[in-house]
Amino acid sequence: MIRGTVVGQVWATRKSRGLAGHRLLLIAAGGDRVVVGVDTLDARVGQEVLVSWGSGARNVLKAGPHNRDLLCDAAVSLVVDGRTGTGGDRGGD
Amino acid sequence: MFVGRVVGNVWATVKWPEVRGLKLLTVQPYHLADLSAESGAGAPSCHDLVVCADVLGAGVGEDVVVAYGHAARVGLEEELGPTEKPSIPVDAAVVAIVDTLDVDRDALARGAIDVTQHDRRR
Repeated sequence: MIRGTVVGQVWATRKSRGLAGHRLLLIAAGGDRVVVGVDTLDARVGQEVLVSWGSGARNVLKAGPHNRDLLCDAAVSLVVDGRTGTGGDRGGD
Repeated sequence: MFVGRVVGNVWATVKWPEVRGLKLLTVQPYHLADLSAESGAGAPSCHDLVVCADVLGAGVGEDVVVAYGHAARVGLEEELGPTEKPSIPVDAAVVAIVDTLDVDRDALARGAIDVTQHDRRR
């Protein structure tokens, strides 16, 4: 999983059927990196979130193991309320 | 998944039979700086490009969402039909063609959205 900050949303009409009805968020994930994740938690711009990958992401949409037909490789698994430590170069977390 | 701009096509004569007929694109991923700039993606840098399969009909210059791994194959089999699905040797595919990237560029540029709060690579 990675932590990231929601910076926006993707709108698309032409998309794979498996993505229909899913909200796609743009998430800044450290440095210059931006990832796209499915959001079921109604995360807002500016909020810090945790993004799961792979089968972990599918489990966010539907509990496994019979979820391999889902089209999802990244999903917001929680919205961070707070945490201890400062991260970055300023200390541990 | 990531979002990027289609910058070119790839074609090949010798390839795995399951890939035959699949269109291959090169996509340049967007970085944070590209999102905050009005102009979108900058000049493509070759070390950054991703090759992905496309069944949605994306063209050069369009913005797309690309999925990796199993999700990419699920995206392809939805379009190609169940008979062609099981063993496509593909790990990246276009799953959406972007209409709009809804980003508050001003807020990003002036730092109103704190994207550094988790700035520690793992």
